[in-house]
Amino acid sequence: MTGSFLVVAEVQNGRLSGPTLEAISVAQTLGGGTGAIVGFVAGSAAPAAGAEFGRFGVPRVALARDPALDSVPVAGIASAVVAAAEKTGADTVLVGGTTFGRDLVGRLAVRWDAAVATGVTEARREGDSVQVRRPIFGGRATETRRLEGPRVALALRPHAFASPVEAPVSPAVEEVPMVPIPPELLAPRRTAIETSAQGSGPSLGDASIVVSGGRGVRSAENFPLVEELAASLGAAVGASRAVTDAGWRPSSLQVGQTGRSVSPQLYIAVGISGAIQHLVGMLSSRVIVAINSDPSAPIFRVADYGIVGDLFQVVPALTAEIRRVRAP
Amino acid sequence: MEIVVCIKPVPEAETRLRVAPGGQTLDAEGVKFVLAGYDESALEQALLLKESVPGSKVHVVSYGPPPRTEEVLRAAIALGADLATWVEAPAGTAGDPIVAARALAGAISSVPHDLVLCGKQAGDDEAGLVPPALGELLSIPDFGSVAELRWDPSLARFKFLRSTDAGGERWEAPTPCVIGLQQAWNDPRTAKLPNILKSRKAPIAKRPADPSNPGPRSVPTTFELPPPRTGARMIEYKTPEEAAQKLVRILREEAKVFP
Repeated sequence: MTGSFLVVAEVQNGRLSGPTLEAISVAQTLGGGTGAIVGFVAGSAAPAAGAEFGRFGVPRVALARDPALDSVPVAGIASAVVAAAEKTGADTVLVGGTTFGRDLVGRLAVRWDAAVATGVTEARREGDSVQVRRPIFGGRATETRRLEGPRVALALRPHAFASPVEAPVSPAVEEVPMVPIPPELLAPRRTAIETSAQGSGPSLGDASIVVSGGRGVRSAENFPLVEELAASLGAAVGASRAVTDAGWRPSSLQVGQTGRSVSPQLYIAVGISGAIQHLVGMLSSRVIVAINSDPSAPIFRVADYGIVGDLFQVVPALTAEIRRVRAP
Repeated sequence: MEIVVCIKPVPEAETRLRVAPGGQTLDAEGVKFVLAGYDESALEQALLLKESVPGSKVHVVSYGPPPRTEEVLRAAIALGADLATWVEAPAGTAGDPIVAARALAGAISSVPHDLVLCGKQAGDDEAGLVPPALGELLSIPDFGSVAELRWDPSLARFKFLRSTDAGGERWEAPTPCVIGLQQAWNDPRTAKLPNILKSRKAPIAKRPADPSNPGPRSVPTTFELPPPRTGARMIEYKTPEEAAQKLVRILREEAKVFP
């Protein structure tokens, strides 16, 4: 790689998503201030989101305005990304490591013959190659890989990088030529977009704080205890498998080996004993707090802070205390 | 319906991880490799689809070295897979998701496939690259992080939820496609003893790895374990209110996780 970057935008509610902003700052760091950075947006969000790149000092944007790109599978976007990279001379594609970003770099590994990595938490240049670090085994280990070859595509783990500073410029706009979308990619249809099951608060993948409840909560009727603590923190709600298997909460909230992996700044485990199948979904959280009545629960071995006690007393007290300190 | 399920042998969840001599990879010595996590869910999902769509077959395909790859294929047969193909990797090759995808695509492209099911990622490298790379190599759409997968016979389409960071998207897709499964909503079944015994003698089609596979574009340079966790700092308290105050002070002032 020579250090010209294409940052692929994911747009949420008309704005660049948090992981996209992080990708801009990674491009700025890897480029050492001199690298060429181009922002890329596909679909009908292109003009508005393209302008937003300028707010963070990105001097060029490449827009693929075809509105058909709004609802095609990722494979269709990959064609436009390759066309944009060819047109702008970019040799490194950076994207947030969301469902979209991971699917995209997997496509680019084959179509663009790029060296790729997902779940990246650190990236630096080393001569012509890029070194990345990424947590593996559910955060129980970290690997460093050297990516070789003229083209690189990285999906960056959300929350692992700082957001870029605002340094508004008026970006030069380039149009990406329309790429014909093959019929097999137009056959699948997106029929609905759903926001998080919670209706309010951030989703599990997005949240910088996650509060999860486990078997210790004892019933579906008691689960609002966990949700109120989450609400007081602006946190997402998670659950252990015991909770989702019992049907107290939907399986979309499950954190663990067969559910979601999360890596928030703060993870609060309420009434969760800490079976390994749960731990592998949350071990890479920055700070872990456990509240459990059993002092020998394995969760206390991986937590940073622990409270042994009756969660039905401790959790409401904690919710009240957080509301008190956060009151304006 | 012809359902292909890609599976990968991974260290069982309880494995105590160690660094191999040289410091670049996991030390696989003595590690038990199993069918686990998302792949186990994907196989369960395939078996449920087979039960709901008459005339279906489940074909498991795996790429990897002996003996672990053959073992997980036999485990899948014991659970109910009808056919198995093993693309043999030379012993000691470091797993690379794109190399694996090319090997799997070579095997899948020569057999019928209405649906290619994978776990959304493997429990060891957590790359999640095989489903999209397979989609690209087979020239069919792929969808990652999928839940609630169903076949609608009247539409002749799959219906599913693709979870995203903002929530989810509902999709309808015709055959063939690749799906990386988030999780099954049913508990994966366990194999019955007679089926385990039968699986030991079941035929497994073997394919050599394709020598024209271009090989990995990235190499592992270090494999590190975090410093051992010392255990939680326990908060001493007399009343729940005191516990709450102490914890909130620590989270704000020491851990600095919120203002």
